[in-house]
Amino acid sequence: MDQQTISPTISVLSNNSILLDATALNDDSLSIQKKIWALVQQCNTSDAFIDVVPAMHSLTVYLIDPTSLAHWQAQLALWWANINPHDYQGKHHKIITQYGGDYGPDLDYVAEYHNLSLQQVIDIHSQGHYQVLFLGFQPGFAYLHGLNSQLHTPRRAQPRTRVPKGSVAIGANQTAIYPADSPGGWHIIGHSDFALFDSENTPPCAIQPGDTLQFVTKESVL
Amino acid sequence: MITVIKPGMQMTIQDLGRHGYRHLGIAQSGALDPYAMIIANRLVGNDDNQSVIEITLGLAQLQFQCATVIALHGADMQAKLDGVSIYPGWSYPVEQGQTLTFATARQGFRSYLAIKGGIDCHAVMNSTATDIAAGFGGLTGAPLQANDQVPITPFDGNWPQRGAIAPAKRSVIRVHSGPHQQLLSQQFSDFFAQTKWQVSPQSNRMGVRLSTEHNQLMHTHSLPSLAVSPGSIQLTPSGEPIVLLNDGQTTGGYPLLGTIISADQHQFAQLKPGDFVIFEFVNLAAANTAQRKLDAHLQQLTIALKNLSIR
Repeated sequence: MDQQTISPTISVLSNNSILLDATALNDDSLSIQKKIWALVQQCNTSDAFIDVVPAMHSLTVYLIDPTSLAHWQAQLALWWANINPHDYQGKHHKIITQYGGDYGPDLDYVAEYHNLSLQQVIDIHSQGHYQVLFLGFQPGFAYLHGLNSQLHTPRRAQPRTRVPKGSVAIGANQTAIYPADSPGGWHIIGHSDFALFDSENTPPCAIQPGDTLQFVTKESVL
Repeated sequence: MITVIKPGMQMTIQDLGRHGYRHLGIAQSGALDPYAMIIANRLVGNDDNQSVIEITLGLAQLQFQCATVIALHGADMQAKLDGVSIYPGWSYPVEQGQTLTFATARQGFRSYLAIKGGIDCHAVMNSTATDIAAGFGGLTGAPLQANDQVPITPFDGNWPQRGAIAPAKRSVIRVHSGPHQQLLSQQFSDFFAQTKWQVSPQSNRMGVRLSTEHNQLMHTHSLPSLAVSPGSIQLTPSGEPIVLLNDGQTTGGYPLLGTIISADQHQFAQLKPGDFVIFEFVNLAAANTAQRKLDAHLQQLTIALKNLSIR
């Protein structure tokens, strides 16, 4: 396969961290990300790392022992060459969501923007199959792949100072669930009680990079 | 108990931080000057990772409701115990009812107060470090406020007064070159390393924003999110670099100018708004040598303290 002959850039960020950058690869976006998840799984079989952090088509590892930097730089390249995108299978989560009304104050806007009915927006959003690309921005915030292009909506001109915890929202070509109250410029279309992040839970985040999820309509509050 | 009378600019409970959770979007947090924190802990016989109080800038006041032994390290904030000066780098016995006051740091920005036995504080994800942005750790997930009661275990035994010196200070902060040099061109690195940057007031435990007149680093690059960490130097489109500190986010989409070497991160974190800083690119060998030197400093302290206790 092509992706096994084209290599990512593996560079040293600091005396204890290495970046594997696959953003320049000409390959299907999701299959590159699947290789990243499989590589995370491979890294986690070793106890050499403080943190193993996947992001968008890249992976950064933080080493306990800086003297092994060159070894791990070579090892990552070797693993990448031998990893199959389907070597990783995440968990599947059902996010029970109440759309519209007080739960989704921007559902009307999104529907109007795309010339769809409220029910059509709900159907398109809840029929999607989403992949958790990586987590970042705040604890438990998952970047999802799979929002139907019919719902891609530019961010709000005026970001809200407070988007409530549990808000299901759309921003540009992405959809997400807010794990905690925070400022935000995305359109809120619904709400879920699914606990994405609880600092007292083990693990603190229910969702991990590489998992899949779907939004399930609890009831439409139209 | 320690009663917080005045928290000053910012006062938080910290340890050496939360590790192994960055893939979940969870910051490291922890003392911004871990060397000052470790030395203070060792002076009172604590483990390196015992919880301490991080004091920012000064103008703070604490009252001890029980006897203990304390040590301060980091920025010199002209601390006084019941009006009598005490000095960073030494341990002092404290009696019940005594008040510790901090004036303003002349040099440096953050000071660490170690208390014998540490702070009785619930660990979240194996750490008591306060993550202010996420709202957990410490006592309540927030910085300490006036009237907060910080629980400690009393100690009224004898404890030898001990002193320790800090690692040598540096004026130039050393940096690894970043992964986006081709994207940004050599002029960016040159300008960055040849400029005297000023620490902006819009800086906090998440990141330090740097500014300069006649900034030539404006750009329009936006990247797929990549992992960032304490010490990462992000370049915003306005040309102002943001250096991430321990509470900084785990991923970001700005190009990286580089990463501050591990040995200099605690030095950088001691800069306060208005201070100037110069950066210098170094190679991996220089970064490793600098880290080994710091490790050796702590190692010497371990030996010295062991000899003290034998005598």
